[in-house]
Amino acid sequence: MLVSLKWLKDYVDIDVTPQELADVLTMSGLEVEEIKTIEPEFSGVVVSRILSVKKHPAADKLSLCEVTDGERTYPIVCGAPNIKTGDIVPLAKVGAVIPGGYTIKSTLLRGEQSDGMLCSEAELEIGDDASGIMQLPRDWHPGTPLEAALNIGDTVLDISVTPNRSDCLSMIGVAREVAALTGKKVRLPSVRIREASEDILSLSSVTIIDADLCPRYSARMIKNVKIADSPVWLKTRIEAAGMRAINNVVDVTNFVMLETGQPLHAFDFRFLEEGRIVVRRSEKGEVFVSLDGKSHVLPDDTTMICDGKKPVAIGGIMGGLNSEVKDDTTVIFLESAYFNPSAIRRSARRLGMPTDAAFRFERGIDPEGVLRSLDRAAQLIAELAGAQVCKNYLDEYPRKIKKTGSIPLRLDRLRSVIGAAIEPKETIRILKSLGMKVRSDGRGKYLVDPPSARVDIEREIDLIEEIVRLYGYDKVPPSLPAAAASEISAISRLELEEKIRCTFAGSGYSEIINYSFTSPASVDYLLLPGDDIRRNFVTIKNPLTEEQSVMRTTLAYGLLETLKKNINNSSFNLKIFEIGRSFIKRGNNDELPEEKNILAGLLTGGVSEDLWGGKNAVDFYDLKGCLENVFYDLKIEHCLYNAEKTEPFLHPGRSCAVVHNGVTIGYLGEVHPDVLRKMDIKNTAYIFEINLDLLNEQVSRQIVYREISKFPAVVRDVAFVVSEDMEAGKMLEIVEGQTEELLENVVIFDIYAGKGLDAGTKSLGLRFSYKAPDRTLTDTEINSIHEKIVQNTIARTGAKIRA
Amino acid sequence: MIAGIQQLENDALAELENAGSQDALLAVKTKYLGRRGLLTGLLRNISQVPAEEKPLFGKRCNEVKVLLENKIEESLLRLSEGAKKQTLTRGKIDVTLPGRGTRPGRIHPVTQIRREICDIFSSFGFSVVEGPEVELDYYNFEALNMPPDHPARDMQDTFYIEEKTVLRTHTSPVQVRVMQQVKPPVRILSPGRVYRRDSDVSHTPMFHQIEGLLVDYDVSFADLKGILTAFLKRVFGDATTLRFRPSFFPFTEPSAEVDIRCVMCAGRGCRVCGHSGWLEILGSGMVDPTVFQNVGYDAEVYSGFAFGLGLERIAMLKYGISDIRLLFENDIRFLRQF
Ligand SMILES: [Zn+2]
Repeated sequence: MLVSLKWLKDYVDIDVTPQELADVLTMSGLEVEEIKTIEPEFSGVVVSRILSVKKHPAADKLSLCEVTDGERTYPIVCGAPNIKTGDIVPLAKVGAVIPGGYTIKSTLLRGEQSDGMLCSEAELEIGDDASGIMQLPRDWHPGTPLEAALNIGDTVLDISVTPNRSDCLSMIGVAREVAALTGKKVRLPSVRIREASEDILSLSSVTIIDADLCPRYSARMIKNVKIADSPVWLKTRIEAAGMRAINNVVDVTNFVMLETGQPLHAFDFRFLEEGRIVVRRSEKGEVFVSLDGKSHVLPDDTTMICDGKKPVAIGGIMGGLNSEVKDDTTVIFLESAYFNPSAIRRSARRLGMPTDAAFRFERGIDPEGVLRSLDRAAQLIAELAGAQVCKNYLDEYPRKIKKTGSIPLRLDRLRSVIGAAIEPKETIRILKSLGMKVRSDGRGKYLVDPPSARVDIEREIDLIEEIVRLYGYDKVPPSLPAAAASEISAISRLELEEKIRCTFAGSGYSEIINYSFTSPASVDYLLLPGDDIRRNFVTIKNPLTEEQSVMRTTLAYGLLETLKKNINNSSFNLKIFEIGRSFIKRGNNDELPEEKNILAGLLTGGVSEDLWGGKNAVDFYDLKGCLENVFYDLKIEHCLYNAEKTEPFLHPGRSCAVVHNGVTIGYLGEVHPDVLRKMDIKNTAYIFEINLDLLNEQVSRQIVYREISKFPAVVRDVAFVVSEDMEAGKMLEIVEGQTEELLENVVIFDIYAGKGLDAGTKSLGLRFSYKAPDRTLTDTEINSIHEKIVQNTIARTGAKIRA
Repeated sequence: MIAGIQQLENDALAELENAGSQDALLAVKTKYLGRRGLLTGLLRNISQVPAEEKPLFGKRCNEVKVLLENKIEESLLRLSEGAKKQTLTRGKIDVTLPGRGTRPGRIHPVTQIRREICDIFSSFGFSVVEGPEVELDYYNFEALNMPPDHPARDMQDTFYIEEKTVLRTHTSPVQVRVMQQVKPPVRILSPGRVYRRDSDVSHTPMFHQIEGLLVDYDVSFADLKGILTAFLKRVFGDATTLRFRPSFFPFTEPSAEVDIRCVMCAGRGCRVCGHSGWLEILGSGMVDPTVFQNVGYDAEVYSGFAFGLGLERIAMLKYGISDIRLLFENDIRFLRQF
């Protein structure tokens, strides 16, 4: 809401600076977002008196004047016919700038010196009169800057009005607020209509068919209207409020809307067939052309203002092209109505027409201001368009607009909500300053009646808010509530996430955050088959772009996009991870989608970027190592890496599912070259995703300490020659599967293939550690156990011992 | 005999002077002080010394012995120090080369801010709760006193999934879900991703919020001021000036916007604060009785306050980031700075 201070002063005295006023309003809930200054279009123009006028010796149409600004006398050559000695006129002195950017210079006109210029209204863009020099009041003092004398220039406050304060979408509403805050009184414009003899009741009528949409419709008739431009004062005000001046009638309806908050509409009565108004809901598929020339298919339950035959306006939103005021309009049918707020909002949204009128109606206008605003506008139109207002007015009011009775206010409740005591005297003063009527029951309770424009005040808590708002939030002393234990327990997964973040960051991975929405094409890039569950997108009905039109079902695509963006920035070495949700639509639309908490990561480039001595390219095992660190940190043991089960977007020979206790918790591997090619990525990358909800279920949070043996371990190395397909994990599984309690652990310490070995075979070096908690093991004891394990392993794998 | 001692001393010292190696020194030592050494030989012949000269002879022999021993020891030490020094010099490394190993990665700035805020509130006894990001209209709006066609819905431009399903526009619906299940006292914090249909330098269609809720007997607006003041001073420093300003949220009443003195210009007015000298940091208010009614709390018995803030905004202020979109571009050159 743009509030011109000059206009505001019509309704309330303001004796503080604009900045002070802005601060007071902001601190009471009407946030002033900007203070704008409106400057006059000219400078260096002063009030002057003409001392003498005589004919120019060389030009009939020019006069030679002597003009004073109270200090000096200036010779001026002037071409206007309307000047005489003693006139008070605007003088643009040498150096003055007038609209259009012209600078006044000292010149010779037909041989006569001219040190300045006398100006017309039009030349200063103060008004439209270009016929002669602007005549100023006789008692104005020469030398006064013209903008000061004319009171041109203004300060406009841009106020952000919260949706509850519909009353402040008007100058009078803001004035009420200012009055309450600064201890002033509000002056309302007086409305006096001299009615002509002709009676609207004999000329027209209103029928409301659907009172749920329009509980009240009132109208006046104005005859002998002469459509013209509005006077300067009216134009200036409308323009200060950010609207465009159109003609005297339309401008008055806008002016009154801005003044009182009541939207109005003026019809050209000529075009109202049968001379009457019918209010009804829209018919199915009904089409209507609004006055901006656009054609609309009307949604259901739209309020239509019709004449005897056809619709002439979309009620509360916009008038129709077929009945708008034209240059030759002479009879105005002026509407002032109350429309159902939520119905207006619904229609305005569906039509995509958030007009000034709709904005006010949907927030709720003053139900008791309908007639007053109607009369105010009728009076102004009569004054400005030389017209007469017909006798009487139409006022169909079939349904009482909801009005709350007196609201009880308990002082003890006030005190407990605020947490501080506000004196009863102060409480009453505040309520009354807002125009509320207050009665006491003498026992700490008041009955309060808010003004009708304050449609937001219905309950005790609304009154409490008003009181503390005007009392000042800053005056409430801060306190701390007593602590009380709550029965809400911590979410274990979040603790897990924090540990994972630390492990990944420690391993050189940086955390990223991608948008949760993605492109529907993401799953095509990932080569997911038609029946993959990740094709079950949660789709956004009103996305900003196609690329953000569905919720992601996997974090993989976002990682690859991030990879691509970074490569474009020449960042070729990436270690990144993300923790976030994926969304899978369920079969039943009524059910919310499945939201999974996912950990995902990507690795590409060199092992240790920018560090000397480490320029090797990363591979599968770098990523796997980091994941294993996470599992180690979380004490998750015996994860299986199943190469049989993998993902379509991963390299089939370099990827696997991650399985724990028979549950697949994620995948890991090199990105499939086809995916990279499709996405136009040249660099190899490794990615993984782990379902954190599943992982969380697998985490054991119990730690059991085992005594450290004082006796030394005995180590035996064996190199098994096996088929090159034999997985190391399989080998370890077989060894570890032979429950031998003295075997403390077994690790792979060497892998070899090539010279000295048959083609198609490889050597796996296993290091066995044996240990007993209570004694030093003897060679004989170990030999027999070790030999048994080795033979068993050979038997089950077909391995040979490498010589 | 005495003169013989003197001669021996002079010879030995001269030889020591010339002995440049450990071996040469040891040879000198053996020559004079060894079991068959010259000085040892002299001493052995003490019987041939006249009786009156014996004490002097013995004293001199001893003096020379001690002198030579000390000299040899000294020279040996000097020699070995030198050798050691030489070896150490040969093993010199370039200490200015960077250390080996992997540099740690960075935690996303938004996560860092979330951690900080959650830590502060957990010290005030708040527990973290979560809820769905794809949310029912009921929880996102209706239960929070925003019925359909309520103008307050304009405050949050919404992504729709179905007619009655939305991407949550704030994390407040989590509070409703918790209140439906738990009786007061309630002290909860709901961090998470939220979505609004908006995109420019200060808005992204997805961002992060933390909202808090405290419900108990006798919780007042003064308590809201107390907790939020303590919180903001911990985040922005004890010297931070703040103000509580009336505002409107459909689910709280009275409602307050909390501003801090601009951290960029100290209140003088700059681009960041829109020349107002203040920065909006969080929204807050006393829970509206209608919300309590919707979750089955008795508003006459319990009261409470709620607050919410955007994490990106705090991160931008703390780190001087001017375009919010940078936080989601995931440019590694950006992320490495945090
Ligand atoms: Zn600033």
